Amino acid sequence: MHNVSKMTQLFAAMALVGAASYSVAADTIKIGIAGPKTGPVAQYGEMQFNGARMAIEQLNAKGGVAGKKLEAVEYDDACEPKQAVAVANNVVKDDVKFVVGHLCSSSTQPASDVYEDEGIIMVTPAATSPEITQRGYKLVFRTIGLDSAQGPVAGNWIVDHVKPKVVAVVHDKQQYGEGIATSVKKVLDAKGVNVAVFEGINAGDKDFSSLIAKLKQANVDFVYYGGYHPELGLLLRQSKEKGLNAKFMGPEGVGNDSISQIAGEAAEGLLVTLPKSFDQDPANQALTQAFKDANEDPSGPFVFPSYAAVQVIADGIQAAGSEDTAKVAEAIRQGTFDSPIGKLAYDDKGDLKGFQFVVYQWHYGKPKTEAK
Amino acid sequence: MPDTFHYLQQLVNGLTVGSTYALIAIGYTMVYGIIGMINFAHGEVYMVGSYVAFIVLAGLAMLGIHSLPLLMVASFACAIVVTSAYGYSIERVAYRPLRGSNRLIPLISAIGMSIFLQNAVQLSQGSGNWAIPNLLPGNFSFGPGGNQEVMVSYMQVVVFVVTLLAMAGLTLFISRSRMGRACRACAEDMKMANLLGIDTNSVIALTFVIGAALAAVAAVLLSMQYGVINPYAGFLVGLKAFTSAVLGGIGSIPGAMLGGLVLGVAEAFGADVFGDQYKDVVAFGLLVLVLLFRPTGILGRPEIEKV
Repeated sequence: MHNVSKMTQLFAAMALVGAASYSVAADTIKIGIAGPKTGPVAQYGEMQFNGARMAIEQLNAKGGVAGKKLEAVEYDDACEPKQAVAVANNVVKDDVKFVVGHLCSSSTQPASDVYEDEGIIMVTPAATSPEITQRGYKLVFRTIGLDSAQGPVAGNWIVDHVKPKVVAVVHDKQQYGEGIATSVKKVLDAKGVNVAVFEGINAGDKDFSSLIAKLKQANVDFVYYGGYHPELGLLLRQSKEKGLNAKFMGPEGVGNDSISQIAGEAAEGLLVTLPKSFDQDPANQALTQAFKDANEDPSGPFVFPSYAAVQVIADGIQAAGSEDTAKVAEAIRQGTFDSPIGKLAYDDKGDLKGFQFVVYQWHYGKPKTEAK
Repeated sequence: MPDTFHYLQQLVNGLTVGSTYALIAIGYTMVYGIIGMINFAHGEVYMVGSYVAFIVLAGLAMLGIHSLPLLMVASFACAIVVTSAYGYSIERVAYRPLRGSNRLIPLISAIGMSIFLQNAVQLSQGSGNWAIPNLLPGNFSFGPGGNQEVMVSYMQVVVFVVTLLAMAGLTLFISRSRMGRACRACAEDMKMANLLGIDTNSVIALTFVIGAALAAVAAVLLSMQYGVINPYAGFLVGLKAFTSAVLGGIGSIPGAMLGGLVLGVAEAFGADVFGDQYKDVVAFGLLVLVLLFRPTGILGRPEIEKV
């Protein structure tokens, strides 16, 4: 494709303009999968691609959608906003009308502008920034929860189950971390919990001894941390060394295996809000096995949402009885769909109604368990 | 005063962090003192040192050796040797060919070197975090108990003692040995020293090696204390150490030591009084204040215009 001269591309584009009816008459439905295949978060991208590919394969095995087979078209945005816009333009050029993607909020947002303008439906299985669906777009959907939903879940859980005396809320001063930390603090304040310390740290810092001395002085017995695993890992480790007797909790950004490596034994008992482990759900046993048979890991947080994203698109087309994206979007908003991540129903913004975050408890050297 | 123990605790925290800033700051200040350039790749040299320390510690642990003194000696030895080799090669490859050119050119070369090393480590060792368990857990604790106590971890003591030893050794070397005298001569007047038969090239190479060796000592200490490293760790630490060097008076070795300690303590109390998010604001605010009233830093001497 890249060798095609500019002139031929231009002609191709001109031909496409006149061929809108042709694409509807085509005998496959193209599903674009756009996410990072390269770059620092490529491992998350792999989950996304695996989930979507599996869904397309299984739907095709059942005879496709409305008598047509689905065809996957894959794009690599490397989680870079600039490249995501280039990908979106390629999606337009390739005459793909349905996209599963993107993964990073920062690349999903600019790409969605292109899709909305060009009448393309986008379902992101991973982007959690609330802003993406706050702009009144009609063709943007998610199969994942929002950052702003995670804070209240954590806050309420603290109030109901932990019942701490003195709480500290710490964050890394970045959009994701501070956002969640602020929403947790709001819930705690509203329920009358004593938040004695609310402070930011510098991402990349290694020494938290002064902060810990301060937490000890304030008699803090519970710490909520908004941010990612490298800093929380060190904070846990140093707190244990300095004898700070507090329980810690964090959002899904801290919930991966590295935290046990960094914090060691201090990771024991850490609480983390995560999307449910869909691969552990007995109802998904067959699908989990299908992933294992294909030598793919079903346990990543974005595998099942990505599978569900393809399914929502397919069910939307079926329900609308058309491939017209405006009608399909309407059908997705109206309907309720069964999927491996539960029953999906959408609000006007394109967000899932009642996406569940679950509180997990971390164990050193053992798999996490659902917190009670 | 119920808060006495709390402030003592913060003082201990600040001094420990500050002493490692000081060790790294010496590398900046010595190079500046002798050839008047800022070696921006020094933070990356520190980072390379911490990777070497990690590899040695992990390797020995895999062989079943858990004796702490042996682990420490081995990691210090390997890190110092490898990191010194890096320091020497960097000078040879990136700075010596540019000597005598405009001051800005080696500076850009140093920044290039820093980016190169960061990416080389990232590509060869991966960009994720490496972690090792705490090798020396435990605390000394003073005071009546509860919140009224000062906790000094064994590792903090080790950091402080090793830093003091390294600094004392360096001071003796510079003031007593023949090579040290040559270093001082070069710092005073490079051309004259050359005329008097001092091999200035080897003196300059030696400064880079000493700086790198001290950075390696800091790298081993900090790796053991925090237990986590990544390829980007050199940037922030390098920035703090450079700040310490400027605060103390760049070019002055006692200045770098003092600057590091002052910066560390300022950060600890800044974090305590204003909140952790203002830690850097306090540290750099202090730098601005000192430079306003003493443009050459705390112990720096005004630069003599060399004609």
